[in-house]
Amino acid sequence: MLETLSSLADGFGVALTFQCLALAFLGCLLGTVIGALPGLGPSNGVAILIPLAFSLGLAPTPALILLTSVYYGAMYGGRISSILLNIPGDEPAMMTTLDGVPMARKGQAGEALALSGFASFFGAFFATWGLVFLAPLLVKVALLFGPAEYFALFVLAFATLGGVASTNQAKAAFAAALGLAIAMIGVDSQTGVPRFSFGQVHFYDGIDFLVAIVGLFALSEVFVFLEHKSSLKKSDTSGIKLGRITPPLWMLRKTFPTMCRSTLFGFFAGVLPGAGASLGSFISYSFEKQLVDRENTFGKGDPRGVVAPEAGNNAAAGGALVPMLALGVPGSGTTAVLLAMLLALNITPGPLLFQNNPDVVWGLIAALFIGNFMLLALNIPLVGMFVRVLMIPTHYLMPGVAMISFVGIYGISGSTFDLIVMVVFGVVGWVLRKLDVPLVPVILGVLLGNLMEQNLRRAMTISDGDWGILFASPLSIGIWTVAVVGFILPIFMARRLRRKLEREVTASDVD
Amino acid sequence: MKSIRALCVTGLIAFASGGATTAFAFEPESPQCIAPSGAGGGWDFTCRQVGKAMQDQKLISSTMRVVNAAGGGGGVAYAEVVNKMNDDNDLIVAASSATATRLAQGAYPGNTMDQVRWVGTIGADYGVIGVAADSPVNSLTELMDQIKQDPSSVNFAGGSAVGGWDHLKVLLAAKKSGISDVRKVKYVAFDGGAEAVVQIMAGTVQAFTGDASEAKGFVESGDLKVLAILAPERLDGEFASFPTAKEQGIDVVGANWRGFYAPLNMSEEAYDFWVNSVGEVYASAEWKKTMEANGLAPLDLRGAEFEDFVRASVNDIESLSKEIGLIK
Amino acid sequence: MSDRVFGGIGLLLGVFFIWQATLIPLSFISDPIGPKTFPIILGVVLSLSSVAIMLLPGGSADWPGMRTFAELSAAVAVLIAYSFVLPLVGFVVSTIFAAFYLCLRLGAPLKGAAIGGVSISLGIYALFHLVLGLSLARGPWGF
Repeated sequence: MLETLSSLADGFGVALTFQCLALAFLGCLLGTVIGALPGLGPSNGVAILIPLAFSLGLAPTPALILLTSVYYGAMYGGRISSILLNIPGDEPAMMTTLDGVPMARKGQAGEALALSGFASFFGAFFATWGLVFLAPLLVKVALLFGPAEYFALFVLAFATLGGVASTNQAKAAFAAALGLAIAMIGVDSQTGVPRFSFGQVHFYDGIDFLVAIVGLFALSEVFVFLEHKSSLKKSDTSGIKLGRITPPLWMLRKTFPTMCRSTLFGFFAGVLPGAGASLGSFISYSFEKQLVDRENTFGKGDPRGVVAPEAGNNAAAGGALVPMLALGVPGSGTTAVLLAMLLALNITPGPLLFQNNPDVVWGLIAALFIGNFMLLALNIPLVGMFVRVLMIPTHYLMPGVAMISFVGIYGISGSTFDLIVMVVFGVVGWVLRKLDVPLVPVILGVLLGNLMEQNLRRAMTISDGDWGILFASPLSIGIWTVAVVGFILPIFMARRLRRKLEREVTASDVD
Repeated sequence: MKSIRALCVTGLIAFASGGATTAFAFEPESPQCIAPSGAGGGWDFTCRQVGKAMQDQKLISSTMRVVNAAGGGGGVAYAEVVNKMNDDNDLIVAASSATATRLAQGAYPGNTMDQVRWVGTIGADYGVIGVAADSPVNSLTELMDQIKQDPSSVNFAGGSAVGGWDHLKVLLAAKKSGISDVRKVKYVAFDGGAEAVVQIMAGTVQAFTGDASEAKGFVESGDLKVLAILAPERLDGEFASFPTAKEQGIDVVGANWRGFYAPLNMSEEAYDFWVNSVGEVYASAEWKKTMEANGLAPLDLRGAEFEDFVRASVNDIESLSKEIGLIK
Repeated sequence: MSDRVFGGIGLLLGVFFIWQATLIPLSFISDPIGPKTFPIILGVVLSLSSVAIMLLPGGSADWPGMRTFAELSAAVAVLIAYSFVLPLVGFVVSTIFAAFYLCLRLGAPLKGAAIGGVSISLGIYALFHLVLGLSLARGPWGF
């Protein structure tokens, strides 16, 4: 314990130089912007800035400080466009749209931004402490997860979907299956055969989830605006209220237990390689909803619905560093890029990293703390500025968003084919919105589909095709139990709620 | 980086061409290396180490951009290069025995080795077979005996797809040790060697097949026990303690060469540039150190010689796969 | 009504997906459940949920009239054209036109849309290319 603290102090000694602080500031700023832009998320944000770190000729520690600041900055920034524009800036911020947008529509955009900023800080801050003290212990938790347990975990994520994303379980199930089906497109990584590619080589590498997310959310939003433009002109933009730019104290107090729980959930989701920040924010939200949503206010602008995913995904970002540093296994797309960065600097993450390169590890951890405080300091005052984005008239804002979406995708892949696929996703997204089919499960499906299938197949190989392996360990039985409860409970709750509604509404009022 | 790009652009459209003068007939404007695996895999290592070495030795003037294109055991990247980037002069792609294996087995659908140009090697990485440090099994022969008695009791985990190089090595060893139906040997594919080792540590699988460089860190940390290295004789340095399969009476050598291929329609100047650059990296003293630190054994082939080598190994693996019964 | 049609289309999609899954060629060596099983399970879930939507439809969607429909089709056409033209004429020029069109159709005045198109294009170029160093489509004029 004491040893850990003194190592950490050494780390701060490395990180608290003027150069490092300046880099942390730069990284946080760029990261926030990158996170807020649709199509650019933490992983490609870090990837984009790796050349910068090299061309500046930075030493390993300052380079890592720059990149982790970008990483954390992007995790913070993703929420901004989620709340203001209903377009997640990156995939972990997807869940934040569910309650963030209704809050903004109620004139509480400033509160939502400030509150989520604080929740992000809270999640990231305690996750970093978790990283400091629990990393060696947590590695053992990751080792409890074999392929069967991973598969159960993914089932859990999808089983709890129904109650979260829509009032209609069938539509939520449809959306999830659609997303998973889209993920099946491409070359099968177990056997190398192409699937659902219709002879198109472009489909061999599958559908990038960024293309899907930008199309489904950002472009379909543009179409929605085009559709309703006549009714927009009169009412929108001019009447929008900024609201407060700090969260009121009662809101902080009310959401505090949520923050603690979500940080815990998110952190553990992050520690599991492969699960990552998206699952962290998702699980945090759905658990919180089932736990505390008694008045059915989630999805209608409940501050707790903003706090849960933000604390969750930022905590997961910290958690994902555990397997990356201690095992050399990246837990998410972003940590994969960070891992690549470490390798390029001739540092091999793995079981010996803490012994062989303590200066790098503790410098990095100190950098995370610095980045956190800097982001909090940077984000709260900037809330007022962010909210002003809403003052831009829609007929300039939405074309800008559309064009940024195209650049985000094209800049990464350089492929016209991807752009066309994105437009198709935009149209599909518009149709699904019309039909009241939730989009979040689609994205979650695209994101997790391959991992889910590969783990099922690994488990089945190990067991020689015996499906019993999926329920063989106490851990997997536990996960399955939670999944089943999570699936059934919302159905009963919905029935009870419907009965309650029926009592309130007169019998003549038929839909 | 920006200014170089700007110079090349203006050079192309013949504005101020006086600004761009270089020593080489060709110099990549924005050098790029595709690693057909996720970050942290062997191909990724190849791209990053060589990219860094080239920059350090001033062979390229800007950073080598490393793009990870995982999937299909390298097939995704291969198809991408053949179909989309066929005339890209700035591009090299990391390759290894795994690439040749999958080409030989027709596992890159519709692609053959003649659709790209083979640049050169930067060394070879010998295969290892290992088990968890606390496993009761202490030698390769013991492990093989256990498989003979009950094939379902041992799951091999490796970083390549089913039928890939990591898988093939195990089958080779099994065949040489007298297991007749090698298809019964179980293999689970993971995304890269690190993930496979983690599953060994977790105890969900029993044996590891991979390369010496992938195993090294986990051996040092005491999580993995190497039963055999598939080299003709023991390696030097830190790897000297690994017994060869040969000395245990199982005569298998599995060298995973590491190198690069490039797009087929790359200009002749560009191809020569990359062949020379890879050669200079290989010859440098720094690279010798990198090879030593990562367990790479010498293997120096370039240009036409390398092309012949790949052709030979594709043919070898093809006949081997047929012999074992993997393909018809 | 919308939901019933949607359920029907979803069912067709699910069946199509299962059919396509059965056509996946098998590799020379495979794991116990192979590349087909999981997609088939997904096809079944897709079909079952579609049937559920068909049998228990929710509210009906509010579809736009022909005019709005034409408006949306035009926007889709412009965006697809943009995707093709982008690598040919470069980022800045093609984006000016695409953004101009969208601004105009979303209700900006002609002059405003022109200014909007130019500033969106240049603004993105500055941020993505000059600050973040992404390589955007480079046309014959180098931008």
